[in-house]
Amino acid sequence: MSDSTHNDPHDSSDHHESHGSIGLYVGIFAALCVLTTFSFLTYFPFWRENVPVGVSRVFMMAVSCTKAMLVIMFFMHLKWEASWKWVLTVPASFMSALLIFALVPDVGLRMRHASHQRMIHAAEVPAEADSAQTAAEDDHSGETHEHEHE
Amino acid sequence: MSDQGHAPDFDYQPALPISNGKTFMWLFLSTEIMFFAALIGTYIVLRFGAISWPSTHDVHLAEIYGAVNTFVLICSSVTIVLALEAAKKNNSPLAKGWMVLTLVLGTVFLGIKMVEYDAKFSHGLYPQHPHSGIYEKPDVYYAQAVRLRLSELKVELLAITDRTAEQDKQLTVIDDISRELVAPAEEQLRNHPDSPLGRKLLWKLADEIYPRASVHENPGGGHTSARHPNPGYLLGSQDSAGRRDRSPFLLTGGEGDAGAEAHDSSGHVSGLNDQHHPWLKLPIMIPGGNMWASTYFLLTGFHALHVVIGLIAFVILLMMTLGRANAGVIENVGLYWHFVDLVWIFLFPLLYLF
Repeated sequence: MSDSTHNDPHDSSDHHESHGSIGLYVGIFAALCVLTTFSFLTYFPFWRENVPVGVSRVFMMAVSCTKAMLVIMFFMHLKWEASWKWVLTVPASFMSALLIFALVPDVGLRMRHASHQRMIHAAEVPAEADSAQTAAEDDHSGETHEHEHE
Repeated sequence: MSDQGHAPDFDYQPALPISNGKTFMWLFLSTEIMFFAALIGTYIVLRFGAISWPSTHDVHLAEIYGAVNTFVLICSSVTIVLALEAAKKNNSPLAKGWMVLTLVLGTVFLGIKMVEYDAKFSHGLYPQHPHSGIYEKPDVYYAQAVRLRLSELKVELLAITDRTAEQDKQLTVIDDISRELVAPAEEQLRNHPDSPLGRKLLWKLADEIYPRASVHENPGGGHTSARHPNPGYLLGSQDSAGRRDRSPFLLTGGEGDAGAEAHDSSGHVSGLNDQHHPWLKLPIMIPGGNMWASTYFLLTGFHALHVVIGLIAFVILLMMTLGRANAGVIENVGLYWHFVDLVWIFLFPLLYLF
């Protein structure tokens, strides 16, 4: 097997020998580092004070997706592969997206509304006013809680 | 493939124009994509559907470790690509060098992960009882758990006939906590169940034992859950510095004097569990903490498992000649390793920065 003239026609390693140069990999590496720094920026107070949480979350996910695409395209060589790459990646991505979308109703339902049952098991700060009232009302349930409906 | 004896003009077409090993690696990776997509999706549902979720500093997560680990994994992705390039040029020693570097970087990742896990474990943050000391809210059950832990410690100490000065000090600390924090809260709850004061005392008890960073640092900062902004019970009703000065038992702690209100390097506030570190281990109150621990350890655990498998593959590769003949194997292991890197690229912001 150490014979270097061995040449499997289905071994694609020869096909893209010319594609990935060391310089390119170093460039991708630098880009990944810069992007990581970008998402790490969100940690610092000046960012957190000036950028809404939602925006920085979308930003972080965008940065992550960019990084993921760089890794997939260049390090995993998908940029230079023949069209078989779609056969394997598209169904998998489709199934993953389906899994995520299947969870969306849960996310949508749960983010806007917390059921009575869940509020009972949530930690809450005791309210200053009318907690005595609420406590009296809730006494029969064995524990006392306010239910913060937003 | 070529059967020249009786060759009709059939050209054998493999299913995919790549080697079988690579085909199966990609098939495996597509199942892995779905596996991690499900895990991450579930995390997102649980996290954003949760009524409350601890901030990263509440649970001793230090962002810098995550960022460094991201960097380490990116470096290792580059080194394995360079190993593949060297192997394609039939330069086995160079390929081995890059492979060793990849192995080292993967080990560094796991080492940092271990340091991080240790920070959680030493603070009683486990995904499951009995190791886990996490309580979701400061209620009578929490106070009871604290009382039971204190009496357990006390019985242990009293059983020792020749106590050292250190152990006597520990007894004093236990008695002080029982007298100053637990007993008033429980008595108040028992005698005046309708008054909010009892539950205020419970919050105070929980806060003394495990002051959550989101409550104490940067009020209104982006790290606290939007649903539960900083409770005003500490800032309004009591001045926290004065409160700590009034507590005599805080002064008995070994390193507790200066650190009572001091933030340590990663922004954590020092509580009773920290001041009496190895032995006290009182139950702690973190709203949403159990769900956090489950998801965090599940996600990072599965990722770390993949890293371990990758390291084993590297060791096996290092026993081979990394010439052109084995470039296909290196490529497949590399694909797997890049995928591990890919997962971490998403886990880092989701777990550390969200």
